[in-house]
Amino acid sequence: MTEVPWDLRRRALKDSIRHDKRVKEAIRQNLKELIAEENIITAEGKKLVKIPLRYLDQYRFRFGEMGSGTGQGKGHVGEVIARDGERNEGSEQPGDQPGEQVYEAEIAVEELAHMMLEDLALPWLEDKEAQQITTHTYDFDDVRRKGSMAHLDKKRTLLENLKRHAAHKEPKVGAFRDADLRFKVWSAHEEYHSNAAVYLLMDRSGSMTTEKKYIAKSFFFWLVRFLRLKYQTVDMLFIAHDTEAQVVPEQDFFTISNNGGTMCSSAYRIALEHIQQTHPHARWNNYVFHFSDGDNWHDDNSHCRALVTQLLDHTTMVGYGEIRYQDEASFYGGAHAYNSSWSTLHQELSTIPHQRFMTVAIKQKADVYQALQTFLARNEAGGVSSGLVNVALRTG
Amino acid sequence: MESLRFLEIRELAQRSGLDFFDVIFEVVPQDIMSEIAAYGLPTRARHWSYGKVYIRQRVHGQMGLSKIYEIVLNNDPGYAFLLDTNSEVANLLVAAHVYGHSDFFKQNVYFSPTNRNMVNVAVEHALRIDEYIDRYGLDRVERLMDIAFAIDRHIDVHKGLVRKPYPTRQVVERERRTQTYADIFGEEDFALTKVVVGDTIPPHPEKDLLWFLVQYAPIEPWERDVLEIIREESYYFHPQFETKILNEGWATYWHAEILHQYAKLSPSETIDFGVLHAGVVNPGHPMSVNPYYLGYRMLVDVERRTDQLYKAGKSAISGREKLFEIRTQENDISFLQNYLTQELVEELGLFAYGHACEHGPQGQKRCQKCGELTIQSRRLEDVVYSLVAPRYNYGAPRIVIANVNDGSLWLEHEPTDLGPLDLKYAEKTLEYLHELWKRPVRLKTFNGQRETTALTYSASGMQIGK
Repeated sequence: MTEVPWDLRRRALKDSIRHDKRVKEAIRQNLKELIAEENIITAEGKKLVKIPLRYLDQYRFRFGEMGSGTGQGKGHVGEVIARDGERNEGSEQPGDQPGEQVYEAEIAVEELAHMMLEDLALPWLEDKEAQQITTHTYDFDDVRRKGSMAHLDKKRTLLENLKRHAAHKEPKVGAFRDADLRFKVWSAHEEYHSNAAVYLLMDRSGSMTTEKKYIAKSFFFWLVRFLRLKYQTVDMLFIAHDTEAQVVPEQDFFTISNNGGTMCSSAYRIALEHIQQTHPHARWNNYVFHFSDGDNWHDDNSHCRALVTQLLDHTTMVGYGEIRYQDEASFYGGAHAYNSSWSTLHQELSTIPHQRFMTVAIKQKADVYQALQTFLARNEAGGVSSGLVNVALRTG
Repeated sequence: MESLRFLEIRELAQRSGLDFFDVIFEVVPQDIMSEIAAYGLPTRARHWSYGKVYIRQRVHGQMGLSKIYEIVLNNDPGYAFLLDTNSEVANLLVAAHVYGHSDFFKQNVYFSPTNRNMVNVAVEHALRIDEYIDRYGLDRVERLMDIAFAIDRHIDVHKGLVRKPYPTRQVVERERRTQTYADIFGEEDFALTKVVVGDTIPPHPEKDLLWFLVQYAPIEPWERDVLEIIREESYYFHPQFETKILNEGWATYWHAEILHQYAKLSPSETIDFGVLHAGVVNPGHPMSVNPYYLGYRMLVDVERRTDQLYKAGKSAISGREKLFEIRTQENDISFLQNYLTQELVEELGLFAYGHACEHGPQGQKRCQKCGELTIQSRRLEDVVYSLVAPRYNYGAPRIVIANVNDGSLWLEHEPTDLGPLDLKYAEKTLEYLHELWKRPVRLKTFNGQRETTALTYSASGMQIGK
């Protein structure tokens, strides 16, 4: 019976750190699929989310879903004992059957949002003449010999130490003196921000099924996250509509239920009125994003066209997203995603010849990512590239 | 720890007929236990995948979901690791269990080709891999190891670890009988024929994919070495894969037997032992059978049945002797096929389960039943089949290298009833092979409708053809 100083032999910690790194890479490569992952969207307030990582498997030749095995207990032949996905719960037998374990990675919501949204920006953002607001940001931009230890510049300190020893013809690191220490110093900068207001319009009519609404909401979820992450403050206005539109508070917007017919023009009208009253285009970058299944009253389409055309005069950009899929199977990435033609609403709207009117179609979950990429591509207005937008946050 | 009691356990084990290697016991904390369990050996070439298992293991251990009392290595001398929080009676049970395993390692015929110095060899491997990481970078070495692990179950246990290269091309003269069976009648007549050997590579379908690639892929010497390292470790672990139920059943049978014989347990220790033993032989999850439990119950059952025959004069050997014979000769597949009975299946309530839908799990078609698993059968042959099916061929599909055609590597997947390959995984694995082979790689396989399909991976990606 012996006891060995085991700490000298640890390898697993190194390998688990390496594994973590690969998990992050895998997440990065699979943002498309993750973007509509339910447990992220519903992570409300939680700091960490769990992501099922089917893709961090080690690849090898293996059988397709066999779905068979040996069990024990009561039950007659033919009795259903489980549905897919329940099988491994509580099972502690390690890997007799390859590839059955789904690994769950834990990651901070913030970190995930960063990965998702790092390449996005509000397009064509302009500096508006009036109402430019100054805020202060802080940068480490100087080095001094005195300072708080919390701001110790380790790299420079090491270099100074080395230089001092080298000057005595003994290049080494060690025997630190106060003279070696270097501290980072910050200074405040003034930053100028352009104003932006974002209008989030969502169809909540009867034809927007739970799944469709879920898609619209996941888009808006990331949009809101993105705006809060990248821009200090942005004016956001949430508008839900069926045949009538109304401005709703943010929390209601994400929990809204559906009923009624559809008249998209109602939402456009409210947005337009609000813009004219509160956010004149001369001083504001206005963005309108609308999600619908396009199942609009036929008569209403021409109104929509007129209103969107008008909106374009008052906004920096209008984005229209149409959710089109037939059934859940194709939606969740089945082999043949449903490929219908565009709705009549879209046909009407698409006659608007304007560079800053954009449409996307969402046929499956992964398209939400594409929609974000399309609407929030880095298109910069001539000569202006202020990264930050200001304005007090307000909902409804 | 009173080592006297340990020696008594050891003596009981020897007196019962167990023949094991010397075993060195080491007491380790839970973290280290998780680490050894993740790597399978105390020091082994590093790879991120062990880190993945380690973290899961450690979290489970910390939350009390699973506890590893002991790990024992197939090595001479054997090494056994005991958890530092084990009670003394737990350690006595574990010691008896460990002697059971070590006896199995030493005596079971499937373990005879394994390297009994693997603990040291693995350290050597780890050092070499570390050296390559220093020289060529972690990313490159890791990628190569990913590739090697992807095919490390495709070995050929009959040809073995150490092999001669294929014969080079030459014409040899072979004697051949002109008439089959003529020798039986004493009328032998030989003819000389000239045969070309070593004309094609491989000369026969090759099962050992890593060996073939080490020999013939256009890769650098250090890359060959990495592949060889992983291949060698795979051969070492193969017998443990194919004897899981029997090996665990055997060790469990012996810890129960030895501790029953051991007279020096206090009453409270006897109760603790009972609790621990019950934990080891718990039946497990309704949808996966605990190998300790199944193996143990089968051995007890065989012993009882053989003893009955022995008493009735219908068996030349006693139940205990029968068990020793089984531990020498069988692996899980033969053990299950030869010794599981309908009566025991019923007693244990075993069943085979699967998908209920008629069109099978493959293909585009979906129905409501697709997502449901139902009890399919409680008949002996179906239950045995469901138990042995995942144990064939190291749990991997049978894939061989059929030939090298104009520089491309042609693989063939031998059809079995286990169904078609996971296409996404096959694509990734072919991509790996292509990376080593550097020319197109083709795999002949079949789809859900059992039609032949050919997956070809070249520089432009994978193509699926007929």
